[in-house]
Amino acid sequence: MRQSNIGWLFLAPATLILFVVGFVPFIYILYVGFFDWNTNAVDPTLRWAGLQNYRSLVFDTTFLNSLARTLVFAFFVVVSELLLGYVLARALMADRLWGRQFFRTIHTLPIVVAPIAVGATWRLLCVPGFGIVPYYLKLWFGIDYNISTNAYHAFSTAIIMDLWHWTPFVTLSLMAGLTALPKEPLEQAQIDGGNKLQIFWYVIVPMLKPVLLTTVFIRLMDALRSVDEIWMLTKGGPAEATRFIGLHIWINVFPKTDYGYGAAMSLLTLYVTIVLSWLLFVAMTGRKGGAQ
Amino acid sequence: MNSFVKAVGVGFISLGLWSSTALAQDSWWKTAAQPYQGATIRGISESTPASKYVEQVLGPKFTEETGIKVEFEATSWDQMYDKAIKDMEANTGIYDFVYIEQDIVYTYLARDFLVDITKSLADNTKIASPDFKPETFTTFLNYFKDPKSGNVMGVPMEAFIKPYLYRKDLFDDPAIQKAYKDSTGADLKPATTHEEYTQIAKFFTEYGADKELWGTTVQASSSHPAAFYEFFESVAPTFGVYNWGIDGTTFAATEVNGGQMNSAAAKKALNYWVDLLKYAPPESTSSTWDEVAGTFAAGRAAQGLVYGENAAWIATDSSKSTVVGKVGVALPPVEAGVMEAAESGKGYIGYYDGGAFGIPHSSKNKDASLLFLQYIGQASVQTDWALAGSRIVMNSTYDDPKIVEQDKKMNGYYTLMREDGKLFAGAPPFPFHSQVLQVVAPFIYKAIVGEIKPDDALDQAATAAEAELVKLGYRK
Repeated sequence: MRQSNIGWLFLAPATLILFVVGFVPFIYILYVGFFDWNTNAVDPTLRWAGLQNYRSLVFDTTFLNSLARTLVFAFFVVVSELLLGYVLARALMADRLWGRQFFRTIHTLPIVVAPIAVGATWRLLCVPGFGIVPYYLKLWFGIDYNISTNAYHAFSTAIIMDLWHWTPFVTLSLMAGLTALPKEPLEQAQIDGGNKLQIFWYVIVPMLKPVLLTTVFIRLMDALRSVDEIWMLTKGGPAEATRFIGLHIWINVFPKTDYGYGAAMSLLTLYVTIVLSWLLFVAMTGRKGGAQ
Repeated sequence: MNSFVKAVGVGFISLGLWSSTALAQDSWWKTAAQPYQGATIRGISESTPASKYVEQVLGPKFTEETGIKVEFEATSWDQMYDKAIKDMEANTGIYDFVYIEQDIVYTYLARDFLVDITKSLADNTKIASPDFKPETFTTFLNYFKDPKSGNVMGVPMEAFIKPYLYRKDLFDDPAIQKAYKDSTGADLKPATTHEEYTQIAKFFTEYGADKELWGTTVQASSSHPAAFYEFFESVAPTFGVYNWGIDGTTFAATEVNGGQMNSAAAKKALNYWVDLLKYAPPESTSSTWDEVAGTFAAGRAAQGLVYGENAAWIATDSSKSTVVGKVGVALPPVEAGVMEAAESGKGYIGYYDGGAFGIPHSSKNKDASLLFLQYIGQASVQTDWALAGSRIVMNSTYDDPKIVEQDKKMNGYYTLMREDGKLFAGAPPFPFHSQVLQVVAPFIYKAIVGEIKPDDALDQAATAAEAELVKLGYRK
């Protein structure tokens, strides 16, 4: 009993911080979401709106497009980073690779760069008229690459930038997971005549599931709330081609000071994120409903 | 001998007078700042040539004279607003003085963010400097006065017009003049109409095809409010569409309700402006005011509308600009009747921009900040500040010999600002500035990238603006 109390005592500071910075703001956002509140309105006070903000969201094509765009972005980056990260992890673990330690270090560097700096650097690389990317794409391939007029160019550049920044994180996670795998099941599978693909699919992937699940969740949640990198690269443009949900919420809450509607957007986005994560969890672990 | 004694006597008297005046000047700031010794005041501003001068010169000088430390943050336009507004809304008191751009002042006044400077100085005369005289400022100060009391709420720190800059060297080149005449049948001179402007832009784009030279700059970022500003504050007025096309009384934006945002004139303006992108360098669709200045300074455009805050360095600073000594300045081209409307005070032909420093109610060092704002509002600091940032906020600055000299190098930009500044106007007095901007701007972006036609963009923008104004409670 005494031990249990001491345990709670140790947990108390972290619980308190989590309560103050996590739970309290969440309740506040939940509360604000039921009001029409814009500090630049004729009446700048909170006015009860009930579920009106949520009702409006369902018909708000800009919001829905932004959400859909974010899901497409998240799908592409998470899947690509997972595939690329796995290939790189295997390559960097290969004994035959000369200068392995050097490449591991170099490869990890993007993770330590702040997202805002990543966005600014990629913008400099890609800015029409001056950037080296449009210059060489035109020179070598005759492509008129322009992230400020072509929606596809901007969207794909946002994906590539995210891959450059975050694939090393996936690589490191998978390397840790692969290194920790026991050798016996792999050897057994080889003895049983399994080919490489079969060993990968039936032995490695199941054993890597906890690592894969954690990595996918982290990257999915990050991708769904991308703001700073995108803001620096395209500011959500051209037009609204890269206005992902995080950026859309920021624009509504801060420059537009539409706090009630912004709060409702945030909560709906959180709900979508939770549902997606749960579906993914169920798909990857084979769990159904509330069964254990 | 007699005259020698007299001369020595006069000399001593003059020296005595000079030194006593100088000591009195020094001692006033020191005496006034005595209670605030060791205090630190923090300010935030958009990073402009004028604000950098405050950061690098005026702040340290003030600290030297008063012992009050000045921490100054010159950051991007977006960041500046984000930080300053959050600070004032949350009443955190991080900033003791903030940049108030002319177009946001009505929002700040409506939300009662700012300290009344006139009243504060009247209430505490010990810190009211004899060298701070609001009546010596240009009429730009009026934008920062409370419309009800007429009291000063911000001390102007920069003011400039957005003129039409052109490459004088190219326009004056006989060979180019001949080629232009052969090509168009007209004489090459700065455009006074939109048709002429487009013709010149087209000509120089063809002429500069192998020279990295285009016909015009366009501040047409497809995702930054800079595009909204260039269209509604610099281009639309030259077509006779004022105040963003929103009626100041009924807050109607659509033509059917009495607004002008989607009027025939506004549509003509947007079509003209979007069409100019054909003759603009590729960076134009990602250009804000800074990139436009950069494009012109790099010699990549023959003409353009460029914010005056950049005029001085473009025309005179060879370490940053490749067109030093090659810059001409003129009034923007206009539609028929618009110039007459502006001259009679019924309209305007472009944007009179600038900003002031104000003190938020949330500041924890109001008196020390009041001293600083008066310090930068003295006539004695204006000239060098103007040389560094091509900004003039006091009438006396225009006549300073250093400014007269710089004016010649800038092809008469200051003369243009002094004589024709009245033809330009600041942003409309809307307290819902940012809200309408965020709603309307995406339609302008879509027109820029060709996602929708300019006419449709303005129809949709006007409808959306009205809906937002209804939601905010301004329009019934």
